[in-house]
Amino acid sequence: MTDLSRKNFLHFLVASIGSLYLSGCLNQEKLLSRSLSPDKITPTPYLPGSKDTEEDHAAESEELPTQEPSATPNPEYPDLVVARKGDPEEMVNAAVSALGGMDRFVKPGDVVVVKPNICASYHSYEYAATTNPWVVGAVVKLAIEAGAKQVKVMDFPFGGTAEQAYRKSGIQAEVQKAGGKMVVMSNIKFIETAIPDGKDLKSARIYDDVLRADVLINVPIAKHHELARLTLAMKNLMGVIYNRPSMHANLGQRLADLSTRVRSHLVIVDAVRMLMAHGPTGGNLADVKKADTIIASPDIIAADSYGATLFGYEPEQLEYIKKGVQMGLGIKNLDKLHIEEINLG
Amino acid sequence: MAEMGNFGSKGISSSQWVKIRKISQLVFFIIFLVLFFWSRREFYLNPSVESGFKENLINIPLKLDPLVMIAQAIASRKILQGSLLAVFTLILTFFLGRVWCGWFCPMGTILEWLPLRSWKKNQPSVPEWLRGIKYVLLMTILFSALFTNLTLLFLDPLTIGYRTLTTAIWPGMDKIVTFLELQLINVPFLSGAVGGFDSLIRPAILPPHPAFFRYGLLYFGFFISLVVLNVLAPRFWCRYICPLGGLLGLLGKVSLVGCEISSGCSTCGICVPSCPTGAIKDQGQVYCDPGECTMCLVCAENCPGDAVKFPFKVSNFLRQPYDIDRRKVLLSMGATAVGVGLLETNFAGQLQPPAPIRPPGALNDKLLSTCIRCGQCSTVCPTNAIQMAVLDGGMEGFWTPVIVPRIGYCDYSCQACGQVCPVEAIPPLSLEEKRIQIIGKAHINRDRCLPWADNQECIVCEEMCPVPDKAIELELVEVPDGEGGIKTLQRPVVVRKLCIGCGICENKCPVSGEAAIQIWVPSHGNQKGNNQHGWQ
Repeated sequence: MTDLSRKNFLHFLVASIGSLYLSGCLNQEKLLSRSLSPDKITPTPYLPGSKDTEEDHAAESEELPTQEPSATPNPEYPDLVVARKGDPEEMVNAAVSALGGMDRFVKPGDVVVVKPNICASYHSYEYAATTNPWVVGAVVKLAIEAGAKQVKVMDFPFGGTAEQAYRKSGIQAEVQKAGGKMVVMSNIKFIETAIPDGKDLKSARIYDDVLRADVLINVPIAKHHELARLTLAMKNLMGVIYNRPSMHANLGQRLADLSTRVRSHLVIVDAVRMLMAHGPTGGNLADVKKADTIIASPDIIAADSYGATLFGYEPEQLEYIKKGVQMGLGIKNLDKLHIEEINLG
Repeated sequence: MAEMGNFGSKGISSSQWVKIRKISQLVFFIIFLVLFFWSRREFYLNPSVESGFKENLINIPLKLDPLVMIAQAIASRKILQGSLLAVFTLILTFFLGRVWCGWFCPMGTILEWLPLRSWKKNQPSVPEWLRGIKYVLLMTILFSALFTNLTLLFLDPLTIGYRTLTTAIWPGMDKIVTFLELQLINVPFLSGAVGGFDSLIRPAILPPHPAFFRYGLLYFGFFISLVVLNVLAPRFWCRYICPLGGLLGLLGKVSLVGCEISSGCSTCGICVPSCPTGAIKDQGQVYCDPGECTMCLVCAENCPGDAVKFPFKVSNFLRQPYDIDRRKVLLSMGATAVGVGLLETNFAGQLQPPAPIRPPGALNDKLLSTCIRCGQCSTVCPTNAIQMAVLDGGMEGFWTPVIVPRIGYCDYSCQACGQVCPVEAIPPLSLEEKRIQIIGKAHINRDRCLPWADNQECIVCEEMCPVPDKAIELELVEVPDGEGGIKTLQRPVVVRKLCIGCGICENKCPVSGEAAIQIWVPSHGNQKGNNQHGWQ
């Protein structure tokens, strides 16, 4: 190679890039598994599960890292608020203000991620497969009024393209009207992240924006699901990880594990319309029940437990609630909670 | 362009004309690329819109291609409205010769840009009779179209362009960019910029989810070998093989404007090797074969004596002996009939080869005689479900669309393939119609399915099923839990009458390798003469 002329060098370069290209063609998904090392991201702050006195979680909760919670349990405010019989936006406003207002959760300058359930692009909101657009819009509006620097709304639909799902669900229009931003989740930003407190799920590829957000507001729709029985807030977090099918073995424990890493600072369960069967995709109006209810709580277990009762289930009938309580994620015993019911009708 | 005959006198010199031609090639090449990327983006963003406008725009290049449109019209016995655009190309060729090849064709442009001159060690001489290949191919394509076969349209230059872009160049670009992005996103101060860049280029240029096309390397290799043939002779493909060039060449022989070497010629012979298609011959007298001339004007640029003219003469129409040999034509017609017959035979020797899963609404018979092998459906399919057949549907079906559910599922709210298909081989269905098209039926392999084989919990197929009443039911069984007790388990069962065969179950099945639930076309469903819509 002593007589390496510029021309030869360029040929060599082109040949190398060509081989890289060809090897790239052969390497499909493999490339995507490389990603940020998990230690570069600080965990989302924990919410209190400390008031919970039930079950055998005491030993485990000691192992949880103690961090400053974003919303400390405050005896001034109820643990959970249920608003009924208003229009969606009214119910959200009433429920959040009864919890102490959005200021309690969102500080000026915060980056807020709102995670609705937009599971597929198949149907409009009437079919109750995706979160009610006016509920999401109201949440975005409240967060912006509380001084959020940016409100990003995102989900990772399993059926159809995200762009179409955002549009079809009606959520895009309401979010943009409220001043929020619809974010299409990008494959390269799912970061392999350790779940130190996970019992079964030790690591997962979790979406970067969600990990970095100051506040995560979880806005699920209450609907039927064969394996989990119901899709509520904890199940809704499956939308922030990349490899969802793998979650289904031991779903309850893995959902609880995921919730130890991705903490919802505020949960607003949309039960304006509930999908009673053939979830999570729906498509039949006969399966939809109009309930005109909004549940809001900083405690994800409490919110899901109340949501379960709307379908006639006891909270412990849902595996992920049971496991979540064992992991110290919140309180399922509704009798022990301070619940405020608001009737707007 | 009639003034082209008077280079210099009208202010535009021949070298300026060559420049204009090169700009035209560049512009049309860019338009071709832009339409390609734009088609994918538009249908990704909104796979269920029935506008009519964008797909008409996207299909303009193919509809300008007379070979594709004539063969398609013959084979399907139906003249499509948009195919009249091809008449425009034919008229243009009748007036100006093979300007398509020299001025517009993206394949010709690429081959001109990559002459590989420096690779040539000693100029091998390519026998002249090889030029006949393109006419034989042309006749074979047209005759087999008469027998409703369009297989050889995969040799049309535009379909080669789409095929290479879709299956190799585009996924390859995606792999490289993704690789770089994943490297750079590790750099802390760059991660924000990389994220921004990513949302900028996806889905605008690159696919949001890694695109995968079977045999991409094969099609890339095919394209590269056409380029490498340039070593033997410049624009080897255009000179000897291209059937579209053959069609335009036949018409170009009688075009009204053509290259003429005037009496001022000093027979210096400079133009002979300069001609990229070797159309100029020196046999005592220098003359140009208008059937081979692509109107590139390089000869006029190089002629020291300004002897090369491009005059407009009605008499040009009569100047060439029309030397199609009747015996050869009949021979190739007979050979084609035999060839088409052979294609129908089943080389694999299976009594019942699995019928390929066709895109929604496409009938196997009609698809084979209508599909022009352009692969647009595969390009726009947002889930990557539509792959191009190699031997899936028999040799006859080479490069026709098939759905491979393990690679991508047919999205319940998408109708992109039917909208984009330029020849309605995949019918343009409304979303409501498309949602009830049965493209296959799911079957569970109970030896692999987690709940059936291993007593493990899994309901992914049921969860994913988009049919409103769920084409998968879960039956409850009590099974040993492995710790001496009993547990209740849900096991999936397909509700055959509800299943539309969209394949999302097969696609998302968490079993590694071959899925535990697969889509099959029922044996009576896709054979010749059977209507796919008639299934129960």
